[in-house]
Order: sequence, then structure tokens, then C-alpha cells
Amino acid sequence: MSELPAQPTRGSSLRLSLACELGEVRPALSIVRAFLTDQGVGEREAAQCQLALAEACNNAIQYARSGERHQPIGIVVTCDDTQIELRTEDHTPGFEWRESVTLPPPDSEGGRGLFLIRSLMGQVTYLRGPSANCLVMRRRRDRALPSSPRERGGTVEELQRRLEEERHIVTAMAEELSSCYESLSAIFRYGAESDRSADFSEFPRRLLHDLLHITGAEWYVMRLLPEGESRLTVFAASEPGLLLEPLVIPESVDPASPLEVIAAVRRQDAWFDPPGLLPPQDPLALARPGSIGLVHPVFFGETVVGTLTVGSSPGKTSLTAAKVSVIHTFADFLAIQLVNARYRQERLNGLLVGRELEIARHIQRSLLIKTLPQLPGVSLAGYCESARQVGGDFYDVIKLSDTSVLLMISDVMGKGIPAAMFAVILRCLVRALRTQAPRPARLLAQVNQLLFDELSEVEMFITAQLAFVDLASRRMVVASAGHCPLLITTAGGTGYRVISPEGMPLGVLVDAEYKEETVPLERDARVLLYTDGITDAENANGEVIGQELLMEWLKQGSLDGRSAEQMREDLVAELRQCQGNQVLNDDQTFLILAG
Amino acid sequence: MVGRHMSIRLEVHGDTLCVDGVKELSAANANAFRDQIRVALTNSLRNIEIDLSAATFLDSCGLGALISLHKTACGRSGLVRLINPAAPVQQILELTRMHRIFEIVRA
Repeated sequence: MSELPAQPTRGSSLRLSLACELGEVRPALSIVRAFLTDQGVGEREAAQCQLALAEACNNAIQYARSGERHQPIGIVVTCDDTQIELRTEDHTPGFEWRESVTLPPPDSEGGRGLFLIRSLMGQVTYLRGPSANCLVMRRRRDRALPSSPRERGGTVEELQRRLEEERHIVTAMAEELSSCYESLSAIFRYGAESDRSADFSEFPRRLLHDLLHITGAEWYVMRLLPEGESRLTVFAASEPGLLLEPLVIPESVDPASPLEVIAAVRRQDAWFDPPGLLPPQDPLALARPGSIGLVHPVFFGETVVGTLTVGSSPGKTSLTAAKVSVIHTFADFLAIQLVNARYRQERLNGLLVGRELEIARHIQRSLLIKTLPQLPGVSLAGYCESARQVGGDFYDVIKLSDTSVLLMISDVMGKGIPAAMFAVILRCLVRALRTQAPRPARLLAQVNQLLFDELSEVEMFITAQLAFVDLASRRMVVASAGHCPLLITTAGGTGYRVISPEGMPLGVLVDAEYKEETVPLERDARVLLYTDGITDAENANGEVIGQELLMEWLKQGSLDGRSAEQMREDLVAELRQCQGNQVLNDDQTFLILAG
Repeated sequence: MVGRHMSIRLEVHGDTLCVDGVKELSAANANAFRDQIRVALTNSLRNIEIDLSAATFLDSCGLGALISLHKTACGRSGLVRLINPAAPVQQILELTRMHRIFEIVRA
């Protein structure tokens, strides 16, 4: 590199010649920088000229073919009171000059050199020749200054210029500081508020409203991705027109996908600036055409919990790095608050559900008859164990006379308070209609009609079984509303019958008809009414008890002459053994009569 | 100066490679910088944190190197974080809208 004596033109000039090598550029730039400083050019302006020149030289060197590398690159810098001119001369084939230069796609690794030159220098001309090309870059000086070094120094103009420079820097710093301050103070304020606020939805709205104020943006849309779902649902928006439809997150995205989805899937900010980056059918483009802005995926830890979109009309605001940083900080803070609020809500729901279950359990327990009626010549025993805190199972024994009784067992499909309420109603209805007990099918039909509207309204149904036991005639009349069969032993425990009269569950068909079956009740007979939790009980090997095994056990009880009470203990022990240490996953209820 | 050894310092914190001591990122050293970091980026690392507080010069080739590292980090579900860029460097990042790609942190 050689430094040629400056040729005085209007103002001062510096001429340099450097070898066609990238490593030569920086030392040359240092000389140019010193020259500009010497001419009274401010730091910021000199740095920008230096960069423009660097891009011009790099371009020339990178375009040079191997045969042209021996030719130097010339630099001429001219500086007068009003203007700085940078001129490079190279001997490469040159390139097609375009009057307008745009930025390449964000992930492109090159193609920004000309954009920088254009942006930093006011006027740029490219003269392409057969053996040499010349790039002339000019910009007006930030402030006209005396050109002669002698006249500079501690003059008022010089001080004013420096003041102007410092003002630029202070303004930039102030902007950043105020952004940091505003976000910090907002966060402290909201942090304190969110703990007190009962209505959590209002708090993020205020926070996001303030975010608009700080960033100078005009609108926002905040979407959330609820846990376990794949839909981005609008949680808050700055105006009603932006309460957009939920967006489904697909397996993969393409450039036509909505920008909010792209940002969430790629876990990266997605910008729509210029507005053309927003596909025309994008919900944001339809709601706010021509806007610019960005979509920021909101994280909680590593998980994307939503998106925050901030936008404005072109020219309204410029989202600088400091502002983007504020958006990120607000979004992070909001994510923490939202997740905390969700936890709080879940804990509250858990308490409410717990309370509801407690009430329902209380209702259900009150249904179970405390002491079973005594009848001559027979013994009765019942058992009811709920899988969860509350199940829909219950049994009842209604004494009708000294020699007759109505046995009932039922399974309400549902849980919680509604199931418990229907169990209460069913029990009361059957007890109220007890005079019909000798005709249990008719009784079921009546109960079905009475309960049908209420049951179908909440889409619930009930299975039930009634057995009218008449000891005077030693017979039983059985009717069933879609319930498990009744099992009874015969011939002193050597045989058995499965009684399963036809009938739909209660609440399925308004005019359902029920059949009856009359069964002789032999001496030593054992009768079992049960719910499917008994036959479906699984042991640790996944084997179920099943109806056959239950029948064998019932026969054995008859053969051994075991009382209803003893048989209950046997079956409970068997069920417990099956269950082992596992949690009960179905209600288990049965009623035994030993004849 | 071409291919000269970069006097940058590299440290590992968790899954982040921290780069310090960057004085300039220009056409002369951008590729060497990029390659030096790529070599240091073992499989367990996914984020790259570059301290730019001492950097006085950044040109389009330097930007190219940062974008290339950004792509490497994204491929590992990580990111490139730029720490405390000085005013002239920050201006270039904003002018080329690179502040939309990189996380710029004031620490």
C-alpha cells in the first residue's frame, strides 16, 4: 500500500493505493479514518464513511479474477466544508449496478455490502469501464465546518459539532435507558399487582397496553397455546377486530402458514416488515392490512406457551433493538405470570373438586342402609366400596312385610354430585313406590318415566335391578334395567341359574318396557346381586374374577352352609387380594341373600 | 493479515459457548472467526454468546459470519446472543435489521 501526496482540490484530498488483498483494507481504512478526523469529521460520520469504503474495497477485491489481482485498488477521499467524497477505482470486470438496493433475506450470509453503501452515503455512482471501474460515494457532512485545520480547534463551531455528536450518543443511550427503566418499573408494578388481582385477565391487558406505549406500536395480539393443545387461541388483543379465530398448529409449516404459527413452530421471532412479508391471507394481514411488526414466540422455560404480535402502520414507529428487547422482556415476564396464574387456578379447582367430592360422598354414604332388616329364615349382607371418592353404585333393602322384602342394586353412570343426586332420587322414588314392589318390572317402568327427562337432559343413565323376595311362597320376582344378571344357586348348591330379565337402563328410552322373571327360592339357596366392578375386578396378573368364578364361589357357599355375613367377608377378602396395592378403578357393590 | 490468528477467548458455560475479546469482524477475519467458533462448538453446545463490547468495526462479511453461526445454532435449537455491542456496531446491526435475528443483550 502506498500513500500518495494529497492533491489539493476543493477542500483536502487523500489518495491511497492498495494491493488487491482483503488484509490490505483495514490498514488503509485506518489512514482514511485519521484523515477524516483531521478534517474535523465527527466520530460517527467518520465510522460510517469508513464502513462504506470498506464495503467498496471488499467488493472490488472479491470480484477480482486471479489475473487481475496484481493491479492495485485506488482510493481517493476528498473532504470540504459541506461534503465528503469517497472514490474507489478497481480493475475487475465490475458488476451490474442497480439503482435500488434492498436487503437480502435475513438468513442470507452475503449481499448487504451495497445496501450498507447506499444507506450510509447519500449519493452513489458507479462508472463501469472496459479496463477500470470507479465507484463514487458522496455524503453531505453532518455539519459544515471550516476546512482548514488551522481554523479548527477550540472554536465555537467545533464545540457545537462535538455537542451535536454527543447529543446523538446521549439520545441513543437515553432511549435505551428509558426502555430498560420502563420495563423494569412496569414489571415491578405488575408483579405486585398480579399477586393481589383476582381478575387475572385484566392485568396482562394493562401490561400490553403499556408495552404499546413504550414501543410506540399501535396494536397487539397475544395468543396462548394451552398445555396439551395444538391451537393458538387469542388471549388478549388491543382492539375487538383482532380477537381472531384460533390457529391450529400443524406438524410442519410452510411459508404460506400464518406468521404466528411459523413463529411458534420455528421458535423464532417472525417479522412482517415490509408488510409484504405477511401472506395476503394471513389473519393479521386481513385484520390490519399494510401493518409492519413482529411476532414473538413466548416461552416458559423451553416450552412455547404462546405468541405476542406487535404491529403498527409503516412509518409510525421503528422497532429498534432496544424496543425489541423490551418486547422480549415483557413477554418473558408475562409468560411467568400466566403460568403461575394457571397453577393457582388448578390448585383452586383441585380444592373445589375435593369439596364437591366430599359432599357427594356424604350423600352417597347416607344412602346405604345402616342395618339390614331381619327376616325369618334368611340372612342378608351388603358391601359397597367406591373407586374414587364417589361412585354411582348403591344398594338398598326395603322391608315390605314380615315375610317380604325388596332388594335393589344400582349403578348410576356419572360421577360427583350429579350422580349422587340421581342415586338419592332413585332410592326415594323406589321407596315411595314400594307398594308396587311385587311387580318390579312395572315399578322400573314407572321410575324410568319419572326420571327420563332429567336423566336425558344431563346425558346420564342408570342400571338397576330389583328383586322382590316373598318368603311365604319361597319365590323371587326379578326385573332388571340393563343391570348385571342376578345369580342364584339351585339344588342345594350343585346347580345355579343366571337371571337376566330384559330391560333398558333407566333414562335411555321413555317408554321402555321391562320383563320379569319369577324364580323359586330353595332352602340353602344363595342369591347374589352385584355391579360389574365385582366381575371386572382384576388381580395383579390382569385376570378378572368373572361370572363363572363368582358362581362357583356362590355354590361353594351354599354347600358349606355359610351365612350371608360370612360370605360377604370371603368375597371382600378375595376382592382385596385381587386389588393388591393397586388403586381401585371401579366401584364394587354386592348384596347377598342366604336362604 | 489474512487468516491471522484471532485473539478471541472461548469459554463454555452449560450448553453455551461464550466468545470474548472480539475487536473487529471484517472481510479479513470473518471466515477465520466463524471457523474457529465452529470448531469449538462441540455437540453438547447449542447457544453462542458473543461479547461485542470491544468490537469497533463490523462489516457485511462480519455480519455474514454471525448469520452463519446463527444458522448453526438454530440447527441445534439454540441461538446467537450478542452482548453489549458498542454504538457503531449496534447501528450497523439495526441498519441491516440484524437485531431481528440475534438476541441483543445489555449486561
